[in-house]
Amino acid sequence: MSRLLTALALALTLLPAPAGALTVTDQTGRRVVLPALPGRIISLVPSVTEILFSIGAQDRVVGVTDFCDYPAEARRKPRVGGMLAPSLEGMVSLKPDLVVATIAGNRQETFEQLGRLKIPVYVVNPVTVADVLDLIARLGRLADRGDAADRTVTALRERMQAVAARVDGRPRPRVLYVLWPDPLIVPGRASLVSELITLAGGDSVTADGGQGYPRYSLEAALARNPEVIILASHGSEKSPLMRDKWERFTQVPAIAAGRLHTIDGNLTHRYGPRIVDGLERLARVIHPEAFDRTESR
Amino acid sequence: MSQPAPASGARLAVLLGGLGLLVIAAALGALFVGSARVPPGDVLAVLTGRIKGVDQVVVLSLRLPRILAALLAGGALAVAGAGFQALARNPLAEPSVLGVSSGAAFGVIVAQVFGLGGGLVEAVGLAACAFAGALVAGAAVYLIASRAGGLPVHTLLLAGVIVGIFFSSAITVLISVVDFDRLGGVVHWLLGNLSPIAPGSLAVFAALTTLGGWLVIGAARRLNLLALGEEAAQQLGVDSERVKRRIFAGAALLTSAAVAFAGPIGFVGLIVPQTLRLLLGSDNRIVIPAALLGGGAFLLLADTVARNVIVPAELSVGVITAFCGTPFFIYLLRTRVANPHL
Repeated sequence: MSRLLTALALALTLLPAPAGALTVTDQTGRRVVLPALPGRIISLVPSVTEILFSIGAQDRVVGVTDFCDYPAEARRKPRVGGMLAPSLEGMVSLKPDLVVATIAGNRQETFEQLGRLKIPVYVVNPVTVADVLDLIARLGRLADRGDAADRTVTALRERMQAVAARVDGRPRPRVLYVLWPDPLIVPGRASLVSELITLAGGDSVTADGGQGYPRYSLEAALARNPEVIILASHGSEKSPLMRDKWERFTQVPAIAAGRLHTIDGNLTHRYGPRIVDGLERLARVIHPEAFDRTESR
Repeated sequence: MSQPAPASGARLAVLLGGLGLLVIAAALGALFVGSARVPPGDVLAVLTGRIKGVDQVVVLSLRLPRILAALLAGGALAVAGAGFQALARNPLAEPSVLGVSSGAAFGVIVAQVFGLGGGLVEAVGLAACAFAGALVAGAAVYLIASRAGGLPVHTLLLAGVIVGIFFSSAITVLISVVDFDRLGGVVHWLLGNLSPIAPGSLAVFAALTTLGGWLVIGAARRLNLLALGEEAAQQLGVDSERVKRRIFAGAALLTSAAVAFAGPIGFVGLIVPQTLRLLLGSDNRIVIPAALLGGGAFLLLADTVARNVIVPAELSVGVITAFCGTPFFIYLLRTRVANPHL
């Protein structure tokens, strides 16, 4: 009996893909087989939701997570729960053709469970700004909005070049970017925020820290004499920014010069189109002189 | 167990003097080392006011308050541990083992979720919520574990474990339902976080530690009598229920102060008083005041290790104390708990 089942299972896996099938490679190099371009997409990633809306593919989005809060219309889509433990039942009942998930934030178990239910999963894994632009183009092709995605990418590139033109050749201030104040969590090596700081014409003082977003020694960070300190809020007014804690360090160049700033972390931490908004704000904070109308060329 | 010999004032003075020197040495050491690599000469120059600038911030605004917080938290947890051990007549009784730390931590997180503003109001509010949590957890453990005639060793530990699990689960629920914006740092905090706190908070912390320390240390002589058995203590004029309530309140207050300002750091209350008992005997009049200084020195050393092993990143101090504490717990379990009267 079990041998028969094994044979049957084997035969099933050897069957050719259904007619008209489409094979795409996701951002992690996995092959994803789809019967056709997906018309019903569940996004388990807030930045993917943002991208799909930005390229005009919102009608194909049938489900999002509790954290998909941008644009405001995304909140009106059916929700499937959080990123770590989305409801399988909720997802199945939305009859998706495709679920888009991320390595950073979703769990392997979710991919496997969806795979067992024969729901295709497209996995994204953006790390750099280039990955984000690549992801926009990929999602554009997948959602049959390739042209809109290309236009979005072109517009984002132009804005990035405009920032580069303003900050290039200027001295690079030392920047301390604070993801979380206590304990101190900062952008380290190979992180999107470190890259954005570099693109904005600054030198992150914590870029030598651990991979991604490590915990970091406060005294090591301050000992590098940051000239600009940027506190990230997490999209709400309630984030404990602890400005007063930083303002006490009056001997630190950034505080002495009044260069303690805040930024909406949703612009700089999410791998979506708004990273360029984040880049522009960072550049304005790091190089105000480059954006000052009286001084600009 | 025989009644300890009367504490000789001279012996206690010598001992506390020695531990005081240890504390000062540890504090000086901690002032000179750190990821910022301030040269020793510059640290001295900062201390004598000859250098300003970032070095001054590192030494006076970061290292110094952190050292003071470590001394307070370590002393508070060690005295709380000694108090709980005397109260439960159990060498393994300790704020984290008994679930009292978890109760206090739950109180702190609830306070953070609702938000307390800032400054002194927040410091006092956090401590008050931690104290409420610690009292509830401690009372629950007592009610679950107590049998006619006392607190059996194993029931007490199991009750502590189960109350601890309950409050840890409640914390997990809060972390799951409350957005990251307000509780993002909590995972690190749960492992102990001695990052520098504001001077006002430090003052509240010191005041609460003093009050809790007085409640426990001031009852040390009566705790010695209680160790002879409640009946004997009663005959010697000790109101055992009153002493127990006082120790419970004091130990819960110390635990909650430490948790509110440094996070639920485990095992300090186990390692320090038990090491001191092994070295100095069981006289609470000696062990408990010694635990105040010894606990401070121990936690300060642990924190100095934690902030220097993986520079420029940092470990949570609770990781260090847990690595020290778990083998010690096993040792005590294998050697001392065989005799349930210890």
